[in-house]
Amino acid sequence: MTSRPAIKALACLGASVLVVAGLAACGGSSESGPRQLTFFVAIQPGGTIEETAARCTEESHGRYEVKPELLPNDASQAREQLVRRLGAKDSSIDVIGLDVILTSEFANAGWIEKWSGAEKREATEKVFPSVIETASFEGDLYAAPFNTNTQLLWYRKDLVPNPPATWDETIAAAEKLGRADGGTIQVQAERYEGFSVWANALIESAGTEILSGPEKVDLQQQPTEEALAVMGRLANSSAAPANLSTSNEDTARLGFEAGESAFMTNYTFAYASASEEAPDIAKNMGAAPFPRVNSHPAKPPLGGFNLAVSAYSKNKDLAFEAAACLAGEKSQLTAVELDGLPPSRSDLYSGKDVKKAYPGFAGLVKKSIEAAGPRPTSPAYQDVTSALQRTLHPPDKIDPDDTEPIYDELKSNLEAAVKREGLL
Amino acid sequence: MKHGSREYALWSIAIAAVLVFALIPVLWLISISLKPPSEITDQRFLPQSVSLDNYKSLFEGGFDESPFIHPLINSIVIALITTVIAITLASLTAYAIARLEFPGKRLILAGALAIAMFPPISTVGPLFDMWRALGLYDTYPGLIIPYLTFSLPLAIYVLVAFFREIPWDLEQAAAVDGATPFQAFRKVILPLAAPGVFTAAILVFIFAWNDFVFAISLTSSDASRTVPASLAFFTGESTFTAPTGSIAAAAVVVTIPIIVFVLIFQRRIVAGLTAGAVKG
Amino acid sequence: MEASAPAHPNPPAAAAAGQRSRSERRLAWLLCAPAVIAMLAVTAYPIGYAVVLSLQKLDLRFPDQSEFIGLSNYGTVLSSELWWTDVFNTVFIMLISVAIELVLGMAIALVMHRAIFGRGVIRTSVLIPYGIITVVAAFAWQFAFAPDSGFVNNLPLISDEMDWFGGRFSSFAVIIRAEVWKTTPFMALLLLAGLVTIDGQLYEAAKVDGASAWQRFTRITLPLMKPAILVALLFRTLDAFRVFDTIFIMTRGAQDTESVSILGYNQLISRLNLGLGSAVSVLIFVCVFLIAFVFVKGFGARVQEGRPGG
Repeated sequence: MTSRPAIKALACLGASVLVVAGLAACGGSSESGPRQLTFFVAIQPGGTIEETAARCTEESHGRYEVKPELLPNDASQAREQLVRRLGAKDSSIDVIGLDVILTSEFANAGWIEKWSGAEKREATEKVFPSVIETASFEGDLYAAPFNTNTQLLWYRKDLVPNPPATWDETIAAAEKLGRADGGTIQVQAERYEGFSVWANALIESAGTEILSGPEKVDLQQQPTEEALAVMGRLANSSAAPANLSTSNEDTARLGFEAGESAFMTNYTFAYASASEEAPDIAKNMGAAPFPRVNSHPAKPPLGGFNLAVSAYSKNKDLAFEAAACLAGEKSQLTAVELDGLPPSRSDLYSGKDVKKAYPGFAGLVKKSIEAAGPRPTSPAYQDVTSALQRTLHPPDKIDPDDTEPIYDELKSNLEAAVKREGLL
Repeated sequence: MKHGSREYALWSIAIAAVLVFALIPVLWLISISLKPPSEITDQRFLPQSVSLDNYKSLFEGGFDESPFIHPLINSIVIALITTVIAITLASLTAYAIARLEFPGKRLILAGALAIAMFPPISTVGPLFDMWRALGLYDTYPGLIIPYLTFSLPLAIYVLVAFFREIPWDLEQAAAVDGATPFQAFRKVILPLAAPGVFTAAILVFIFAWNDFVFAISLTSSDASRTVPASLAFFTGESTFTAPTGSIAAAAVVVTIPIIVFVLIFQRRIVAGLTAGAVKG
Repeated sequence: MEASAPAHPNPPAAAAAGQRSRSERRLAWLLCAPAVIAMLAVTAYPIGYAVVLSLQKLDLRFPDQSEFIGLSNYGTVLSSELWWTDVFNTVFIMLISVAIELVLGMAIALVMHRAIFGRGVIRTSVLIPYGIITVVAAFAWQFAFAPDSGFVNNLPLISDEMDWFGGRFSSFAVIIRAEVWKTTPFMALLLLAGLVTIDGQLYEAAKVDGASAWQRFTRITLPLMKPAILVALLFRTLDAFRVFDTIFIMTRGAQDTESVSILGYNQLISRLNLGLGSAVSVLIFVCVFLIAFVFVKGFGARVQEGRPGG
């Protein structure tokens, strides 16, 4: 037929293109020399990871080379990548920079190694107890604490000379200022992990816990209802910013830096960010402890990263050594200097590096971490946080004067979540 | 053919309306990319002060260090290869389906449709496992093959719809007029097939260009990471600061090859009409 | 295909015809084979695997607790209020966006085809939205509508404090707006390609007969464009049902705007419940299949017709 030769020619062309493409992608020689240890971690803009990796490689005296591999910056995307690979028993992962909420999940699934003996002692020396808790599961240590993070109440000293001590006082102060003059409070209330952080902090500050064990819901009624009432009150008052239901750490600091709000609960980076982006605001920026809900001491949020060793790594001994170096004292100082990340070792807070990164509020950060309340530890944490978000978002649906229905809903949803039942 | 000034005026309005609809968000993106970080949230459509910092940060560090250059090249090459192969294979298949009688024709069409309908997210996990086992993880073919798979159904359907409309008897008429078989194919059939082929080519290219799901899961380094996936690694000033400006700048730069590609191809879509081959 | 017509008016029937159709079949399969292989090789295992998974209770975080449970996952999904809410959301967004896109796409295709100047510029500009990376486009829209950063609230008739993402139907409005903007070019492109194949002489003849512009449009253009319209509608609807990126970026499914794809993603990736997640995926597939079935049967999408003229 007329076009058969032409068609056959095209088919051959197609096949050869595929072959060429395949060949072009091949290549990359295997390396000889020191063992390569891959370090899967989200990159820090200030360069912490590159520097600690280079330093630890040097300190190994040729036994291993630490190679950082990028994880996405978004926490849930990073988790997705890790889960996909560890679930497939990928042996190309050695050390992992693990978000604090992932420890229980990964440990229970058998994806990360237990720490014991001298290495465990070294990794937990002088570390805040609350931070050690975030790296542990069922009493064992599964990761070396690296950096932590906590939230403070940032406020405008020129608008509010004396910072409020409770949430209700904060709301009242904001309402008094009036919306047009900075009378709003920036929080994180989008339907994402940051919202669970806030909800958990309120509940724990009220005096109860979400979970009392990996599968047991605690959530005592009276304190929980008080916490939920605070959330509902803020969301329905004039102190709530217009974008409350889609607010996150970034929009919060942007709103504060634009001068729209006199109050903000946010992590320690907020001061460095304001100094650079809005120096006029930073001049008047004060830091206060996370507000209380009632008479119980407040329990600020606790974040951060711990370094774990993959259970499928082919170089476990070296990986433990590398992880210990990457999470150790010198690395923590690098982190606070280059990226403003709070160290997990409490003895570093009296040093000059921390004081330089947090001028005037270093002591406050330390106290905050000591008092902090970690999020619930459970292998089913993703279910728990989904249930929390789904029930409480958007916060303006909570009626502060009648919190019983939402409490009942929350309790039953959480109970189904820890058992991993149903559709979320 | 003369057009009155009233016609010109009406068409101008229509064209302006279309342009506004299509381009306002693009202008917004460009505007975001030109704003310095302190003005990102100033709620204005146009930037108060123009700054090229976002663009500079994209290309900083040259080929190795920049977060953007290598992914850009990967995107271009992968999308081009995918398009060439997909159009080739789809044309062959569509030709067979449109012109020949054979059992299994409906099965192929139904099967292709079924493949296009399955949610990609659940194919990613097993595909990841397969690719790791085969050594295709983080390679060009590792992305090209799934892109082929998921763009072929649309390409086949578009080409079948157009090949059906071609009056194949013209080939015989040209032969009667003294043309060789190959000349008949080239001068008569090919121009008529052009609209469908170039339409399908644009669709496949944009599909491969835009994909995020496969790109983020089947790559792990700049060896094969494409631009949509690389956006997940852009950083702002701190881990909590969204790199809004640089993402917008990346999106603008990445649209330029699309514009070039489309500019070249959109003329070919109507070339068949002007070739004078239709109906005599 | 033989280049010349058979010399005899009555060719020796059966043998020659059988011979021709056998070689025709061989050629046809040869031509289709590469594409079929490319499609099957990649999807056969994943799709089969997904179906198998959907029949099991399998949570990746608790690997030793897996077991075969038959159709129980499907029961869980179909009896869940969340699933049906999400189906409603998805169908709602799908119907409205596709309807708008069809009308707008047709209008734009006509402009692209018949504009008396600037055709190249229009055709290129119209395709730019389709070429912009989906996640970035969604992000740009979200940024524009967000009360604290966008310009939309500064527009004359809109309140400064309007929280577009604070309510269900206002969120839907923004999502649909973004979807329509992004994929109308897809429709317009396919419709344009259909428009250019219509012979201009038909219009001349109709004008001579006194047909009005509207009559020419409905009696000539639309019927002749039927294949193009149907392909465009079919694929666009199938894609619209699986909407994910736009909603995820804008609201993450909050305010009851979650779509079925996001639901599947949550089960599969966030909760690592591969059993439930695969069941949701298979059910999405079934829904999309039903839609395609309705199209092919109901609207008579005769794309798989045989030879033209026969």
